[in-house]
Amino acid sequence: MSSPDLTFRRLLACLIVVAVVLLGVVALALRNEGRAVAAADWVNHTHALRAEAAGILSSLREAEGALRTYLLTGDPRDQADYRAAFSDLAEHVDVAKALARPAPADASQIARLEERLVKRADLARELIRVRQGGAPEELRALLAADAGGEAVREIGRRVDRFREEQAQLLTERDRAAYLQAQTTRWTVLCALVLDLLLLAGAAWLIRDDLQARRRAAAALRLANEQLESRVRERTAELSAANTALKAQSLEDRWARLALEHQLHYNHLIIDAVSELAIVVTKNLNISRINPAVGHLSGLAAAALVDRPLAALVKLAGAAASDDLLARALKEGRDLREQSAVLTDSAGRHHSLVLNFFPLRDSDKVVGGVVTLRLPPAPAA
Amino acid sequence: MPAPKHILIVDDEAVILDLLAEVLTLAGHRVSQAATVAAARKVLADGRPDLVITDLQLEQSDGLALLAEVKAAHPDLPTLLLTGVLFDEETVEARLRDKVSAYLPKTTPLKFIVAEVARLLG
Repeated sequence: MSSPDLTFRRLLACLIVVAVVLLGVVALALRNEGRAVAAADWVNHTHALRAEAAGILSSLREAEGALRTYLLTGDPRDQADYRAAFSDLAEHVDVAKALARPAPADASQIARLEERLVKRADLARELIRVRQGGAPEELRALLAADAGGEAVREIGRRVDRFREEQAQLLTERDRAAYLQAQTTRWTVLCALVLDLLLLAGAAWLIRDDLQARRRAAAALRLANEQLESRVRERTAELSAANTALKAQSLEDRWARLALEHQLHYNHLIIDAVSELAIVVTKNLNISRINPAVGHLSGLAAAALVDRPLAALVKLAGAAASDDLLARALKEGRDLREQSAVLTDSAGRHHSLVLNFFPLRDSDKVVGGVVTLRLPPAPAA
Repeated sequence: MPAPKHILIVDDEAVILDLLAEVLTLAGHRVSQAATVAAARKVLADGRPDLVITDLQLEQSDGLALLAEVKAAHPDLPTLLLTGVLFDEETVEARLRDKVSAYLPKTTPLKFIVAEVARLLG
């Protein structure tokens, strides 16, 4: 996927090239328009020059004819005609000179033509002078010298050649103008095609960018939905875990309270009984006593715990009281109503009745409980 | 959503009362607490609860006596004896069946207590 900046740069480049091509076409059109105007001016100018050249020739022939007529008739009206004809000729020459002035080659040809026309005019003036002087022999001699009109034909040939040259230039200019028009047409067409291609490329870039943006938006939307879904799932998991943790915490607190309550309750029961209660380990060492033991023995629990039971209590009349208790403990059986003697902290002996109960944890005997009470008072 | 059920808990230990109230409130019930029989009687006088949970060993009286009063006033009101005194099955059948709707030792896990409460509330 192209980045927005890259797409923008590509679009900008396309549009710049399109604008440059359009500017080129506009410049070409303006230049061609100027050339066309100049060509039209040149063509008009050339046609005018050709027309003036033709006018020169026709005016010359007309003047020559009017001159001959006057020379024959001597009529003043014919004289006016040839003067008018020469006047037209001079006017055509002046116009042709003016038209040919920008082109030195044309001006040179017109100048050479004018030289010949001037000679014809000089000859005409000489003939008229002789005609008006009344010298027919001299007039005939002059006319005979000009017999055949070779000079006039030479002028005619020069005028025709000049006009043909101008016509040839017109033809070349037409061909060049046609080639120029063709070149311009193809240039404009190529520029148009190039612009269309560039615009199509820009359109494709825009379409591609829009598609990429749509794909990116869809991907972003999908990612957001997935993220929200994961967040919801995770939140639900955390909430469930929190609920479970809280429930477990409450459960733990409840279990601890129940256990403390139960222990406290059991201690209260044991401590409340008036009989002496001693808990012993499997080795017959004292692990716990109730307050009645402390009262009778004068010894605190701290002085008795972990001491042998035999240091406090012994079975009366039995040489090996430890063996009897040890056997009962080992065999896991009770020992009931045995006479025993407790020695207190002052060394006094107290006769008591002993009961022994093994402590069972599941199927194992892990210790025992010794209870002691005062023997019943003898009957009075 | 149904209205929460009203449960009266009677126990002389504040920590037990608070913890049970918290658990049963989380389970969606409305809970009244009473640390004494007198306080329990006051709650009962204000309105019939949907369930009465009581300890056995109380300061002024005992739980079974209180439940006898409750049963006299509301014969169909379910009751739960929740106590640290452990009774075996035989004792429960022989001595408690007619006096309480259910018996649970305090060593019972909370989730089973909540389940039993839900069962008693129907």
